[in-house]
Amino acid sequence: MARISPRSYDVRMMFAMGVYVAVFLAVWPQVRGTADPFVKTVCALVPVLPLLYVIWCIAQRVLHSDELEQRTHLIGIGVAAAAVALVSIVAGFLAAAGLLSLDTTSVVLVWIFPLLLLVYGAARSYAARRYGSLGCEDERLPLHQRLLYSAAMTAFMALIVFLRSGAPDVVAVVLAICAAQLLCAAWFGFKRRRERVTPP
Amino acid sequence: MNNQVRSLREQRGWSQGELAERLDVSRQTVNAIETNKYDPSLPLAFRIARLFRLSIESIFEPGKD
Repeated sequence: MARISPRSYDVRMMFAMGVYVAVFLAVWPQVRGTADPFVKTVCALVPVLPLLYVIWCIAQRVLHSDELEQRTHLIGIGVAAAAVALVSIVAGFLAAAGLLSLDTTSVVLVWIFPLLLLVYGAARSYAARRYGSLGCEDERLPLHQRLLYSAAMTAFMALIVFLRSGAPDVVAVVLAICAAQLLCAAWFGFKRRRERVTPP
Repeated sequence: MNNQVRSLREQRGWSQGELAERLDVSRQTVNAIETNKYDPSLPLAFRIARLFRLSIESIFEPGKD
């Protein structure tokens, strides 16, 4: 089977994460608003569907990667597994000691998968750079474009939270994340433009 | 390990992307091999040698260590 190009992989992942955010925001309020256990179960598990597609994309990418890519995937997965194990054991001990409520524990569990993806991506990218991937970055979607897309999703989340609950502290946190993403996008966009004007 | 992959590729007028396609690897892997940041496995070294119609030892040579 043909290899998945890095650009195509980025587009698929961004699409899947966009669908995940949209589905989560659309369905999640129904979970607490219904008493029917069947509807509750379906609504709680629907956001898992786009994540299954994300897992399928990652599996396809790893299966069709060459030997050097497999090495960098292994480094990424190893570091991500260690980070997630650490976070879950810390959260587990705190919950067992009664310092984290059941509600907080469930929030921690929901963030395990994004944390895994984030650390995996960062560690894999670091390992790939050590093997000289810097000269091959034109194969991927530019980082500032990916960050802009992510910032747009975060802003959309802030808007929905504001319209639904109006909780100012939650909206402020989400907007701060959005602002950080925009700043990073501006920085990487500026850096990319400067490198194009004066190649290293 | 040192290798002649870059000069052999340039002699044939291929880009890194074209060589990567012929070897069924990523351009990053070709780049890493050419810059001596990564030593290919024996099967990939054989594929490279077969593609350039040369022996492995005429393309790859051990480094100083």
